[in-house]
Amino acid sequence: MASASLTGARAAAPARVVRAFLDKYGLICLLLVMPVAFGIHDLRTEGDLSRLGNNLLDGLSNGSIWALVAIGYTLVYGIVELINFAHGDVFMIGSFTAAGFFGTIGLTAATGVPGLIAGLLLTLLVAMLASGSLNLMIERVAYRPLRGAPRLAPLVAAVGFSFILQNVGLLWRGGSQQGIVDLINSQKELVMIAGVSVTHGDTLAIAVTIPLVLAMTLFISRTRLGKAMRATAQDPDAARLMGINVDTTISATFLIGGMLAGAAGLTYALYQTTVWYFQGFTAGLIAFTAAVMGGIGNIRGAVLGGLIIGVIQQISDNRIGSQWTPAIVFAFLVLIMVFKPSGLLGEETREAG
Amino acid sequence: MTGDAAAPRRAPAPVRGPRTRPRAPKLPRRARVGLAAAALLGGAILPLFLASGGGLIEDATLALAYVVMALGLNIIVGFAGLLDLGYVAFFAIGAYTMGYFGSLFHINVNGGEGIHVLVSGVAAELPGIHLNFLLIVVLAIIATTIAGMLIGLPTLRLRGDYIAIVTLAFGEIVGRIAINGDEITGFGTKLTNGRQGITPVDKIDLPFLDPFTALNLRPWYWVAFVMVLLVLFVNFRLRDSRLGRAWIALREDEVAAVSMGVPAVKTKLLAYGTGAAFGGISGAFLGSYLNTVNADQFQFSFSIFILAMVILGGLGSIWGVVVGAIALSFINNYLIPDVLNNVPARIGLDFDLTQLSFGIFGFLLVIMMVLRPEGLIPERRRQLELQEGIEDLAVDGDDVQPAVRP
Amino acid sequence: MSEATSNGPLLVASGVTKQFGGLTAVDDVSFAIPRNAIVSLIGPNGAGKTTFFNILTGLYKPTLGRVSFDGRDITGGRPDKIMALGVARTFQNIRLFGTMTALENVMVGQHTRMKAGLFGSILRLPRVRREERHVRDKAAELLSFVGLRPALHDQLATNLSYGDQRRVEIARALASDPKLLLLDEPTAGMNPQESGDLTRFMERLRDELGLSILLIEHDMKVVMGVSEHVTVLDHGEKISEGDALTVRTDPQVVEAYLGKQEAERQRTEDGVG
Repeated sequence: MASASLTGARAAAPARVVRAFLDKYGLICLLLVMPVAFGIHDLRTEGDLSRLGNNLLDGLSNGSIWALVAIGYTLVYGIVELINFAHGDVFMIGSFTAAGFFGTIGLTAATGVPGLIAGLLLTLLVAMLASGSLNLMIERVAYRPLRGAPRLAPLVAAVGFSFILQNVGLLWRGGSQQGIVDLINSQKELVMIAGVSVTHGDTLAIAVTIPLVLAMTLFISRTRLGKAMRATAQDPDAARLMGINVDTTISATFLIGGMLAGAAGLTYALYQTTVWYFQGFTAGLIAFTAAVMGGIGNIRGAVLGGLIIGVIQQISDNRIGSQWTPAIVFAFLVLIMVFKPSGLLGEETREAG
Repeated sequence: MTGDAAAPRRAPAPVRGPRTRPRAPKLPRRARVGLAAAALLGGAILPLFLASGGGLIEDATLALAYVVMALGLNIIVGFAGLLDLGYVAFFAIGAYTMGYFGSLFHINVNGGEGIHVLVSGVAAELPGIHLNFLLIVVLAIIATTIAGMLIGLPTLRLRGDYIAIVTLAFGEIVGRIAINGDEITGFGTKLTNGRQGITPVDKIDLPFLDPFTALNLRPWYWVAFVMVLLVLFVNFRLRDSRLGRAWIALREDEVAAVSMGVPAVKTKLLAYGTGAAFGGISGAFLGSYLNTVNADQFQFSFSIFILAMVILGGLGSIWGVVVGAIALSFINNYLIPDVLNNVPARIGLDFDLTQLSFGIFGFLLVIMMVLRPEGLIPERRRQLELQEGIEDLAVDGDDVQPAVRP
Repeated sequence: MSEATSNGPLLVASGVTKQFGGLTAVDDVSFAIPRNAIVSLIGPNGAGKTTFFNILTGLYKPTLGRVSFDGRDITGGRPDKIMALGVARTFQNIRLFGTMTALENVMVGQHTRMKAGLFGSILRLPRVRREERHVRDKAAELLSFVGLRPALHDQLATNLSYGDQRRVEIARALASDPKLLLLDEPTAGMNPQESGDLTRFMERLRDELGLSILLIEHDMKVVMGVSEHVTVLDHGEKISEGDALTVRTDPQVVEAYLGKQEAERQRTEDGVG
């Protein structure tokens, strides 16, 4: 046995070392290409990194929205192995609900701070409930009947639902980007740190995301339902034998994923001050990319992936041109899925053979 | 040794609706051949009953072009089981091949004199590159086959749902390049004309015939009809061949298929390449027929439109896909805009039904998956399975327990 | 070399190790299959038998070690290429192509022995036509050889009874004219009568077709009756090998199957009796 392992060690030629290195750090290197290249560029031309710093901050706050959407993807994929294609559109409906609800409760740019905070918290609740229950309903109607069918069947149904929701959005608010009231004065600078301008929008995005992600993590690790979710993700049949109600657990997963998408929808509306029916399609693919990048099924991975994608997007918007950003994000998606489908934090799994 | 009905066995997860349904009547072979012949004959003489420049023949020709694409996608999704959500890429590449080699797009080529190969009529006088339509179709086939394989290559090791997303991403990348291609220049020309589109595009010009015109659509229809016939022929021949069996084997169980000697990479690439080629043929035709190659044509929703045809008709079912494609294209191009469009207004609602068209297709996808996943006209195999399936035998279970332990 | 090819063992695995993450499923197993022989691989559930099978057939690449077949190195080769060289298999949980008929399943098994390409198939050249006919006839012959009633040849695989599905799987494996047949628990779910039939069938394959067979089996009666050589795996390691009698009396084997206490109890009982 010793001799066998020795031969194996000797077989570790340089090529193998390179491959092992790329396997482990290739994705990280790939992700660092753009920030590093533009950082060097900035240092050469402007002498400081404040532009890159602003890109990073904007990227992180934008990315925190994607992180919330990505958690929904990752939770659902982790538990039923389905790419919930309609998830991005559930996020869009959350945005629309929030934007509509501002008017309903009479929030305007002139509302005072206490009223604004109370109103926004209420809107947050409404948006989360709307998206959460929508996601729950989709699972009931379109996915549950297809459990046990070939795995492409629910995916096709999900694509179908995505189109239905987009059409709802189209009828609701028309086909073009719609500006909505800028309640928080999103672009206004709150504080300047080392040449990086922190705006109200940045603050809001991060203030919504961090507590929700923390609450989510605690929920998954501490509560009964969270444990049931993890058990079902591991092995639904075993979970059922252990007395876990798998149907309820799956419903809860969709509900929670949808609620986070609703929260993201509100944040997006406040941050971007525009909404449109197509925002969900792009957001969905971006968030899915984030979930895969982090390692699908892994909540921390989804958050990390969301933040990274946000930064990539921001750098591309700012340096290359926003019309190319989708193509760049999709190129990342393809590269990651092909070369590192297990993502940054995921683990290789043993395939059934 | 007789079959032990109670023994657990692996049911290879058939596409099956949640409820049993009445048996489909199985027509005898002669009746089926007769039916097919009648349908084809009817299709061939249909233009004689339609006004040569009217809306109906226009829609019918479009429907035939979609049939070609749907049959191409059916090879990838229906036969080989590779869910491709980016089929629009092949439409785009076929159409751009038409635009590049049959329009004013390269207006400065050859010092403004143009390059002309086997073209007659107006096109022979214009600047730009103008090749004969048949040559362009050959180029489109080559371009899309290569593109199909290139897009297929990175998906080979991926699982089904990941394949769907990667192909979708490729479709979107191609679409983005089409939209922003006017920013990319090289060799004295732009890559695309973006949203403005390449227009006008040469009319089809076949040997021994006058160049086609926009006034008489019958020749267009017949060209599309011949394309459908060719593609149908290829589909049937491939389905009942070594390659067709290998595709279905891969679709059913990839591990078993490769263990039985089916080379997964080659077989899948052939599916991508063949399916893509059909998209290219149809794309080149549509570029000429619609007289524009415009980036707005190449959206994700188009991929889903074609996929919905395949699913409505029945994955893997050749006749089903033909019916699905004709049905959806008539719903989209005739029923919704021309017949039903004012229904919402009549019942007091304030929107155009055309705005709803993609919601309707989405709804169709969901309904088909939940209620009748095998499609309107199921593949013969699935039909057999439903007719002769012994439902109570199909106990699911992956692990067969040993009968006797040591 | 050609000397070795025709006389040496048909398949040699040396030092084969397979790790999944931290788990070592197969640990440094060396193993040979002689020509024209039936050998068995046994061991408790989870001992790594099927993983070892998957390494031999190319579904898994071994972490360490080499496999050679008929004098050729096939370590980590593609499954379809290994199949083409002459290694065919069946699966523990039957894996037929459900929506294909029994006949078509066996025709797929001949894939590597066929030549028809894309264009040949579209044009259906005379050569392709002949090949199809030949392949179809051979498939029917094989199905009859394994004992499937002709009436069932055109049934979808998914509609066949369990025993018939096992037969079709064996016919599909034989369709490629293999030199080595790997059978993964072929008697699972069979009654003793059926197992006995299968045992005789395996002997026929060896004697009439000159095949070598590697058998994974839980049914000791089958194993002991038919194998010339038995290898025992436990926790991925080879713990014993030899002829049926040697293995059956090896205390390590008894222990692996029954647990240490039980083994000791049995030993003392034996001593008393």
